Amino acid sequence: MGIDWLAIGPTGRMGSNPIPGASPLVRPPQILRDILKSPLKRRLENKTWGEHGKLAHVVRIGRQAVVFAAGLFAIVAAYWLVMNFVENPEISSLPYYTFRTLLRITITLGISVAWGVPFGILASTNKTASVILVPSIDLLQSIPILGYFPVIVLFFISLFHGGEIGIELSAILLLFTSMAWAIFFGVVGAVKGIPVNIIEAAQSFGVTGFKYIRHVILPAIVPALISGSTLAWCDGWFFMIAAEYIVYLGTTYSVPGLGSYLAKAAYVYNDLNLSVIILVLITAIVFYLNSFTWHRLMERAATGTYKPVARIGLSGLGKLGVIRPRWLHLGDRIHRPKSLILASKWVKRYTRLEKAVALAISLTAAFAIIYYIAGQIPSEVGFHEAFADPEFLNLPVYTVLTLGRLTVAYVISLGIALGMGVLAAEHKKFAAIFYPIYDIGQAVPILALFPIFFVYLSRIFGGRLGLEVTAIVVLVLDMIWYMFLNVVGAVKSIPSEIKEVGRLLGFKGLKRITHIVIPAILPAIVTGSILSWGTGWNTIIFAEYMPYEMELFGGQPLSLPGLGSYLDKTGYLPPPKGNTVRLLFLLGEIAAIVLAMEGLVWRKLLRRFEKYRVEV
Amino acid sequence: MIESKHVTKTFELEKSEIPVLKDVNFSANEDEFVCLVGPSGCGKSTLLRIIAGLEHADAGEVLFHGQPQTSPTPKITMIFQLFGLLPWKTALENVEVALEILDMKKEARVEIARSYLRMVGLEGFENAYPHDLSGGMKQRVGIARALALQPEVLLMDEPFSSLDELTAKTLRSLVLDIRGKTSLATNTFIMVSHNVEEAVFMADRVIVMSPRPGRIVGDVKVDIPPPRTRYLRDPVHFKYVDEVVEILEKSK
Repeated sequence: MGIDWLAIGPTGRMGSNPIPGASPLVRPPQILRDILKSPLKRRLENKTWGEHGKLAHVVRIGRQAVVFAAGLFAIVAAYWLVMNFVENPEISSLPYYTFRTLLRITITLGISVAWGVPFGILASTNKTASVILVPSIDLLQSIPILGYFPVIVLFFISLFHGGEIGIELSAILLLFTSMAWAIFFGVVGAVKGIPVNIIEAAQSFGVTGFKYIRHVILPAIVPALISGSTLAWCDGWFFMIAAEYIVYLGTTYSVPGLGSYLAKAAYVYNDLNLSVIILVLITAIVFYLNSFTWHRLMERAATGTYKPVARIGLSGLGKLGVIRPRWLHLGDRIHRPKSLILASKWVKRYTRLEKAVALAISLTAAFAIIYYIAGQIPSEVGFHEAFADPEFLNLPVYTVLTLGRLTVAYVISLGIALGMGVLAAEHKKFAAIFYPIYDIGQAVPILALFPIFFVYLSRIFGGRLGLEVTAIVVLVLDMIWYMFLNVVGAVKSIPSEIKEVGRLLGFKGLKRITHIVIPAILPAIVTGSILSWGTGWNTIIFAEYMPYEMELFGGQPLSLPGLGSYLDKTGYLPPPKGNTVRLLFLLGEIAAIVLAMEGLVWRKLLRRFEKYRVEV
Repeated sequence: MIESKHVTKTFELEKSEIPVLKDVNFSANEDEFVCLVGPSGCGKSTLLRIIAGLEHADAGEVLFHGQPQTSPTPKITMIFQLFGLLPWKTALENVEVALEILDMKKEARVEIARSYLRMVGLEGFENAYPHDLSGGMKQRVGIARALALQPEVLLMDEPFSSLDELTAKTLRSLVLDIRGKTSLATNTFIMVSHNVEEAVFMADRVIVMSPRPGRIVGDVKVDIPPPRTRYLRDPVHFKYVDEVVEILEKSK
């Protein structure tokens, strides 16, 4: 019965494209079973190239097992070396810290999935729920992790009187705020992406209620869940330092883990060699785990999607780590802004009066909430001190400076990512170089790189300029990957007819780039830009401020004048410099800038480029 | 004028090989309209792309005026199944950009582009983007763009199969009308189709291909005088259709 979907495999890509999702009611449990099946068995069953191919496959799997074992051995050896030759009072706890961090991220991933699946399904199937959930979660995900500090410290840590459980819960919740969204939006996108014919088929066969969820929705979200989990997993490693080592208004709360150890190495022990070593270990672990878990799952999941996922063909370890599913009906390359577009569509349906009433109600509610929270804030934080800080007058200048830094970093990353992306997508040789770089670049927690870069760059450029350069470099390293990913995906998905037209018309070299490639990927560039700016805002908060006193620079904490460093000081330092009310105000300003840019720049560009999309 | 000699092509996948074309021999002469028909996946589109110079034969060769034809040339242009328009260019720009290959001044290019759009009945739609045009209108732009280059050979890859039947009918007649125009340099037409009636209606010769790997299993000369529209319900039309279908059935 039905087609064996996974058997289509290699031949499916040729001319006779099987229509994805042609037998939806047979496929669902199948795909789940296939994903759970042992890789060896599955591979052997589904390949179509005969005896010789089977043998080649066994050899390939055997080789992978060797690589797997070798990697594990290398990591264990590295730990042994580090623990025996690095001098630090806490070095013997390294395996324990690794275990704690792995456990923490895994638990948070579990919580994120457990939260994201039901809420995602709710938001994508129920209109009322989606009107409330999608915009509010979009707002929540745009809040930098620092913005969650006050809430978390106020609730968890004071609830448990500073006990370890309270801090552990805070760390998990902070990780949750950076991991959960990818899964939620992945689920929403996948459910919305279920083709209408499949929904109608399900309805006509009387598949409703729980059966509908089990046979239509769940199978549809499996690929999105896997790619969303990969993203979340990477985000978790990225933000674990901030989550495990919370500095809030002069007090430090930390839980045992690799992130807090890394932070301590830099901030407490002032030992940069140790930071580098831990960082390399983290990168190796993330890279290793990614190649043997997510990459595998992703390869398998891509077979079951309704729409083709941007697959980047490169065998072995170098396979591109993060493959984003094509989201929602409007476009394959729109991920986050999609929700904004949807939200704006709903908003359009209401009259001006209704909108005004809704706005008034939500503003009143927001004020009520702020007023309530303000009542909960300990009195020593005080409203009147919030804006009495003399530095507050510099805010417009700070804003301009920070925007300037982000713009410079954005332009640099755009340029590099365009070059790298187009080359990687079109030439196998470059792909073989750039994909591994991307893999490692994704695995490195960039925030942790910050002090290390600074030490080296400040030797060349000096203190202040060195910090400026470091901030830009860290921003570029952070912003470039979304752009790269989107460019590669978009170039790869330029329809072959369009490429053939270019060749028939004799477009070569630069002419081909300007006439064919660039216009074809413009929508993806905008999407990449939105994602890049989003992550850039998150990073610049950490990139403008050097929170620990370095002996090199006369024991002074170094900071660049800007919104990010001001936010840091307001969050980290004890009162009166540190102030929760001002922190919320500054976060509000950032949120306003992000929303304004989305509304005034990106959404307009997206709309304009919408008609550039090649209809196939 | 176009000769395919022993053309053989195999697609290589990761671990397997799929033979697509096997020793294909045929020729299309000047003032001839040839249609290649065959089941899906028989390699007819690949053959067309080899003629266009977009793909290369593994063995054998395609000759154009007796010379090996291996890379795209403005003398051989193509109309695509999905129109192949650049979505970021207007109808006029889509035609005009094609003329850049001929090394002409911008004004001349625009002038020519306008006249060809007029010829395919798109006057007034010069500044519309493909996004805003219907399928039929998009294919008209595709036809205008191909003809504006004044090619000797016009290749058509299932040009009407993504259109509704009514629109397809109109465009088939448009292509036949254009073929009748003596002012055009284009004199050789090679079309790929899986619609036998369409093939018999339009072509002077219908070349029948076998399932993969594609070989030529039949060459039916369609002896119906123009205008063909008059013979659409005529027994002679159906005689040819039956003949082609029979060859197709036999080659299965």
